[in-house]
Amino acid sequence: MAMLGAFPGRSGQTAWCGMHFYLPVAEMSANIFIFLAMGGAVGFLSGLFGVGGGFLMTPLLIFSGIPPAVAVGTESAQIAASSVSGAFAQWRRRNIDFMMGGVLLAGGIVGSVFGVQLVGSLRRLGLFDFFVAVCYVTFLGVIGTLMLIESLNTMRKTRSGASASARRSGQHNWIHGLPFKLRFQRSKLYISAIPPLLIGLFVGLLAAIMGVGGGFIMVPAMIYLLRVPTNIVVGTSLFQIVFLTAATTVLHASQNQTVDVVLAVLLMLGGVVGAQFGAVAGERLKAEQLRFLLAALVLLVGLRFAWQLIAPPSDLYSLSLAIGGA
Amino acid sequence: MRRHRQRHATLAMIATLGIALLALGASETEAQKRAKQQRPPPVAKEAPHGQPEEVRREQQPGARESVQADVSARNVAVTSSFNGTEIVIFGAVDNSQQPSAESGYYDVLIVVEGVPARLVVRRKNNVAGLWLNTSSATFDNVPSYYAVASTRPIDEIASEEFRATHGIGFNHLRFTPAFGQSQALSTEDLKQFREAIVRLKQRQGLYVQEHFSVAFIGKSLFRATIELPANVTVGPFETRVYLFRDEQFLSHQSARLNLEREGLERYLHVFAFSFPALYGLMTVAIAIAAGLLASTMFRKTAH
Repeated sequence: MAMLGAFPGRSGQTAWCGMHFYLPVAEMSANIFIFLAMGGAVGFLSGLFGVGGGFLMTPLLIFSGIPPAVAVGTESAQIAASSVSGAFAQWRRRNIDFMMGGVLLAGGIVGSVFGVQLVGSLRRLGLFDFFVAVCYVTFLGVIGTLMLIESLNTMRKTRSGASASARRSGQHNWIHGLPFKLRFQRSKLYISAIPPLLIGLFVGLLAAIMGVGGGFIMVPAMIYLLRVPTNIVVGTSLFQIVFLTAATTVLHASQNQTVDVVLAVLLMLGGVVGAQFGAVAGERLKAEQLRFLLAALVLLVGLRFAWQLIAPPSDLYSLSLAIGGA
Repeated sequence: MRRHRQRHATLAMIATLGIALLALGASETEAQKRAKQQRPPPVAKEAPHGQPEEVRREQQPGARESVQADVSARNVAVTSSFNGTEIVIFGAVDNSQQPSAESGYYDVLIVVEGVPARLVVRRKNNVAGLWLNTSSATFDNVPSYYAVASTRPIDEIASEEFRATHGIGFNHLRFTPAFGQSQALSTEDLKQFREAIVRLKQRQGLYVQEHFSVAFIGKSLFRATIELPANVTVGPFETRVYLFRDEQFLSHQSARLNLEREGLERYLHVFAFSFPALYGLMTVAIAIAAGLLASTMFRKTAH
């Protein structure tokens, strides 16, 4: 709120047209309340479901007319803001495996560097919008479907009275045969550094291209592939996300100039408030109901992007400024 | 019972959000249309500030008429509150022989042109059921903004030839295909790309042509208002005013107008584009600070 108060219209000039704000990087006039509300709504949902919300916010920004590259760059800053409080809370509860987080982050930053470069090249080719849509359709489609099936199964099981928990631990798989083994104390694991590095790399790449934190890949990967204990997974993933999105923001800003600080602040303000309400509302729903709703939402966003790819565009032509010499 | 109701309330809220998301997805251009509608009716931001160059009125008997013109604001500030603006172009006909404002004795044609830039136009094609950009053309000297205002339709005022040499009207915009295109393009393709630029710019409100928008107020005084939308590119604008009588060109005058970022807007833009890495670090610092602040605030209220 303090931030908003600090930007009054200059005295002597017209009152600042009520609720519009000219975004310095997106170079467009935006209605403040629309973006505050957007931040609030996504914040609410991320508080409700305990997810980062990047996969909702970036699409919403794109659909509301923010250039996709600016949406992606700006959203990474907002994710850093929304994850840092969670990471801080987890750190106080000693739920972060710093060794694991560090290895994931090392891979993540390499991935992010590649991702940011790729965004730049795709933009110059005019294919970034298409590529983002394809990524969203693929990942949201797969993850949404898996979550939907899983939540429906759990709902059916709880209704028939069976126990719903099923985490197998202590099983050995091919991952344990790899070299460069490291001891991950908090996770009580002694495994090769290669799988977490590769997972980090992949998530970093996605984070830079899709404007997400990547928790939706990171969490299942840590649980099912690395077999990190569940209580450590969330904290370590959040820790990783904070630093990954911070690095991605700086990279986007310096390589592509696609981070809009005013837009980011609006989204942060809305998001912070929304998340508080969401967290309270979330306590009133059962876990599998939440997962079902989240899955539906994920699929909905995926379908929206699929529609964009399949539906005939209203105009076949589009304009863009030449970037870096066409 | 109460818990039950609350759960229903929450479900309803989520359903609403879901529907809102779908509605947002209904059409791609919806958002752009809305953005256009939200704009409040433009208000002239600055009163015409004084000193329109001393109007020389040495009456030379039998001399040809000439035109004097200027814009209401030579410098328009783009601040954080910028949401488009309106400028007034006014002028006077020297040695006017017009009996009254309504006589239609003279015709005035005004062209306002923004900064020329290099622009890429892309065309989507259906590849295996998916729509993606497959071909593109680059043009140089595409004016970021282009408006024509006149007392009558421009083809009734000036000959085709005159309009072509002076770049008046959408058909006579002076942009040219950039040298060394990545793809060889046929003339037909180039024509379509050209037309697409004009069409899309018109849709964005950046290319405007309005007949009858220049009005005489007295025997010699005339004025026109030109709307600069919020998405206009900052930079210098050139305003050209042409005076005609019976399709005969009499006189012409140009004036400059400058749209400049100011205040916070300017600092942020310069910061973002001149010191991008530092700007990125600042953004991250704000984000981390906001997140930590929120977490301490929440901790106090929650426990």
